[in-house]
Amino acid sequence: MIQQKICLLGSFSVGKTSLIRRYVDSLFSEKYLTTVGVKIDKKYQKVDDKEYTLMLWDIAGEDDFTSIRTAYLRGMAGYIIVIDPTRPHSYDTALSIHDMVKSNAGALPAVFALNKADLKQSWQLDPPRYQHLHQLGHPVVETSAKQGQGVDDMFLQLLQQRENSHG
Amino acid sequence: MDKLLASICCSLNMAVFSQKNATHFHLVSDIPEWLVFFLGHSSAEHCSLSHTFPYLTCFMDDAEAHWQTQQTTPLASGVWIETDELGNEVALEASALWVNGEAILLLQNLGEKYRKEVSHLQQLREGLLTQEKLENEVQKRTLKIKQREEEIAIKLVSLTSYRDEETGAHVKRIGLYAAAMGKALGWEAQQIDDIRIAAPMHDIGKIGIPDRILLKKGKLTENEFAIMKRHTEIGAKMLQDSNIPVLDMAADIALCHHEKWDGSGYPRGLVGEEIPESARITAIVDIYDALVHERVYKKAMCEQEALTLMESMTSSHLDPELFKVFVGLLPVMRRIRLEVNEIGDLLVSY
Repeated sequence: MIQQKICLLGSFSVGKTSLIRRYVDSLFSEKYLTTVGVKIDKKYQKVDDKEYTLMLWDIAGEDDFTSIRTAYLRGMAGYIIVIDPTRPHSYDTALSIHDMVKSNAGALPAVFALNKADLKQSWQLDPPRYQHLHQLGHPVVETSAKQGQGVDDMFLQLLQQRENSHG
Repeated sequence: MDKLLASICCSLNMAVFSQKNATHFHLVSDIPEWLVFFLGHSSAEHCSLSHTFPYLTCFMDDAEAHWQTQQTTPLASGVWIETDELGNEVALEASALWVNGEAILLLQNLGEKYRKEVSHLQQLREGLLTQEKLENEVQKRTLKIKQREEEIAIKLVSLTSYRDEETGAHVKRIGLYAAAMGKALGWEAQQIDDIRIAAPMHDIGKIGIPDRILLKKGKLTENEFAIMKRHTEIGAKMLQDSNIPVLDMAADIALCHHEKWDGSGYPRGLVGEEIPESARITAIVDIYDALVHERVYKKAMCEQEALTLMESMTSSHLDPELFKVFVGLLPVMRRIRLEVNEIGDLLVSY
């Protein structure tokens, strides 16, 4: 069994906790409950013939009142940055978090999750931003914690990057 | 641990561990009820806290460094959440400190203190979400208003196009050249947007000039020229006092685009920087575009010839510094000139 630490990062209220809840417990709640600090969940995942224990670090969203401690990133195998495209501000936060992680933890497998795909008609991510995100060299996955869309795929794509980089 | 300390630890929901080696700890306080479930089978004399609480893996390096320097002030780990035997969330925080020659780790269940903090942050973040939504809505509506302003401005400009020889493409190019100048000069985005719309209105006052003068083929008499010059003031009167920034800028440009750097221009004979920068920019781009394009009464000049002529006008007519900026932007100006060359929909889409 391979143990991997995966961090979920992003602005507040983008759906990090909901994505983990959907992935681990197949549940979703409409109510927004803010996360303070860190919550770690465990999930067993089989990819091809390999078995993983994923330690999913749900890290409180960044805002004017809290910022991410770089110590949280120690020992991380990869990370997912969640964006709520209905809120353009969360895109800017995602990019600054990505830069912060790269400078503190180096180049690691990463995925950008465009969450709330069930509200796609309200997305406000303009084509230049969308294009820029794709040019960062990491998979961009559309997800909906509410409907389950793309959630497994998001974790799978992260693990596959890890596999590819380790041969 | 004496009874007093044990009682303090209990009332603070706190467990005290002393470090045995790099990975193991010894519980020196009484074991709080909430901790029993998490420690499980681990012996209180020999427990691996990082194994019990994976969160501590990100704290132990800092704690170790803190103990190495024998610091007596506590170093906090930050809050993390565990789930107890009843499925309830328990907020914990660890602190490392050096006490009486021992490396000590305090583990505290934050209980009510945490719930209050969550409730406070929840309110603040919900407030931020509402603020973000409102800002977003304001931005969308502002954009709509700007598009309408632009549409109205272009309609105004098109009125003059009906009466004189200027083409729709010319007025559109003037706006784009002027905006490129504003950007190169480090103007704010709003001002750049404004000059793109305002510069094309520089000749709007010609609407008040009689056709016999405006459309006269030959040279104007002194009296006719005096009437013609009034288009600057007519334009300014049409555009001023609106309290709309773009129209205020347009009024300045309409009034001052025939002023000259040396003070020999009209209507007020302003000198140098007394002339608004927006009008000085418009004068340069208007002359450039007029020279390099063919009109019914003249042939197009080649660009080099036009630039030489304009160069000779600096310090008398044109602002020499702005002209240098213009020359530095020639590749941009050429692109605008080549791409905007037909009368069409005058609404610029961005």
